[in-house]
Amino acid sequence: MYRYASFLLIVTCLFQSPAAMAIPPVTSVEHALGEATIAGHPDRVVSLYQGATDTAVALGIEPIGVVESWTEKPMYHYLRNDIQNVTYLGLETQPDLERIAWLSPDLIIGARNRHRTIYPLLDRIAPTVIPGDVYDFKALLTMMAKATGRTARGEELLTRWQERVEDFRTRIRQKLGEQWPQEVAILSFRADHARIYYGGFARSVLDELGFTAPASHRQESWGIKLTSQESIPAMDAEAVFIFMEDDPAVQRTFNTWSSHPLWKNLKAVRQNDVYQVDPVTWNMGAGIIAANRMLDELYQHYDLHQPEHQGCPRC
Amino acid sequence: MLTTPPAKMLGTLLCLGLLLAATVSSLIFGHIPVSLAMLINSLTDYDPGSLEHLVIHSERFSRTVTSVVVGAGLAIAGALMQTLTRNPLASPGILGINAGAMFFVVVGATLFSLTSPSQLVWAAFIGAATAAVLVYFLGQEAGRGVSPVRTVLAGVAVTALFVSFAQGLLILNQDRFESILFWLAGSVSGRDLDAIAPLLPLFGGALILALLLSRQLNLLGLDDEVIRGLGLRVGQVRLLIGLVVIVLAGTSVAMAGLIGFVGLIVPHMARGLFGTDHRWLLPLSAIIGATLLLAADTLARLVIPPQEIPVGVMTALLGTPLFLHLARHVRKVS
Repeated sequence: MYRYASFLLIVTCLFQSPAAMAIPPVTSVEHALGEATIAGHPDRVVSLYQGATDTAVALGIEPIGVVESWTEKPMYHYLRNDIQNVTYLGLETQPDLERIAWLSPDLIIGARNRHRTIYPLLDRIAPTVIPGDVYDFKALLTMMAKATGRTARGEELLTRWQERVEDFRTRIRQKLGEQWPQEVAILSFRADHARIYYGGFARSVLDELGFTAPASHRQESWGIKLTSQESIPAMDAEAVFIFMEDDPAVQRTFNTWSSHPLWKNLKAVRQNDVYQVDPVTWNMGAGIIAANRMLDELYQHYDLHQPEHQGCPRC
Repeated sequence: MLTTPPAKMLGTLLCLGLLLAATVSSLIFGHIPVSLAMLINSLTDYDPGSLEHLVIHSERFSRTVTSVVVGAGLAIAGALMQTLTRNPLASPGILGINAGAMFFVVVGATLFSLTSPSQLVWAAFIGAATAAVLVYFLGQEAGRGVSPVRTVLAGVAVTALFVSFAQGLLILNQDRFESILFWLAGSVSGRDLDAIAPLLPLFGGALILALLLSRQLNLLGLDDEVIRGLGLRVGQVRLLIGLVVIVLAGTSVAMAGLIGFVGLIVPHMARGLFGTDHRWLLPLSAIIGATLLLAADTLARLVIPPQEIPVGVMTALLGTPLFLHLARHVRKVS
């Protein structure tokens, strides 16, 4: 038995020695919970939250393991074509650690609010990076590009995004004239309540594009949940974006709220500036592709001419 | 405690004044404040273009009416139950009525896909009635009629049974859970007055019957043998009161969901102030109950506008200190 083991050891060393001689480049990435040292250009990437999955696809990586999406399970339709041979690791809130270890990844990307406690375990499985702010899709892109040795691709994506943002700002300023910058509210409806979003992914993209928020919506928290229709006036803005899941119970809530006299009294509703938008791109994707798709939708809603662009795949 | 009739009259007037103040507050305070002049204006000269008038007409009227009806209903139901079972801790929550209503609503929403408030209201009402009948029969002692202790035990058992069934169903149908969570949490806002209108005549009838039974209720505190000796048909009176309780508690739960504390605490407050005579106790419980729920709902709107705190939390927050104060005060007097 002992001899067999030592034989194996020698064979392993023999096979590994050529690889060990070519010294792989080592990248060190600082992140929210520490520093990760990554060898080479990792191809075996595990993504533990939705924004990281989106960003990986944008960088041209097909992750080997991802957590399930929140809707359109197991994966959002817009990412499905690029994620086919993948192992699903359960929910974002409770990923399957054994299966992650079994996949023997080169790199793991987690989220600070979700995976802070399991970070030490993850880091023992593979180098793990944890972005600081889950809603900052550009910081996430830069960090993941560095960690996977694809900085050129990352910079290219960011430059294109910047160009599109500039183009949108120019066009919408021409279109709306005096009314720009426009004050917009982000709303969502659930089966038993309505929500106003003060922060989050969609708001950060809208901020970057130059939209403003109503004074009472400029707060630190993510937003609020409303259970009483008496609070409808708090939703007021010049334009309103609404996203909600495709579910009969949600639709009923929306019908009840939107037939209320107070709803019909909202500025945006009277001016017919209420836009229903895709909940996946606006609230769940949280990566560079989702941001580009959000921008596509905005070009459409404001009926702006959209120049040909060579964004990322699936944009 | 107020002992002489003039003192009681004065106390009643004071309570009515508080009720009026609470009603007006409920109409004018909230995320969109409304001035008193504007409130009167909206009654005499309604302008659908005005935001304040819209808020009053579309929301605050219905929630004020709901608060008054539900607060009064729960308080009287609680007082009747406490007398009926001779148990100071009796309330719609203890006797399985809330749990029955909850279970039937969950069954309706999950198995029969009921969604509109007018359907859920009936499910809740039937559930409350079923639980009460079940508790009534389980509370019978062979040959001796309703036993107070057995009734309470039966109520606790039925509550446990219905709650566990409801939880099981909700775990199996998680996607339905959110849509009835709002109903379960208990709220007087956004309740469609049209949906609860069919219950109101029933509610009114039960209220009148309760007041008519005041004299008989006063005797129920005595020993069963003594009552029979006085010529009262105990069984019939108990049955009638049981019916009244079912209707009052059932309609209240159907209208506003599970609002705790009012049914338990308000009768004690009324008893502490006006004594145990049901001719005073019942009307005053109704007035205090309505006032408490109105005040709780108004405060629930004002703590973190435009969000609202569940009204059940506020009733407990308001009721407990008053209750404790009364309990200590009464002990000192006696």
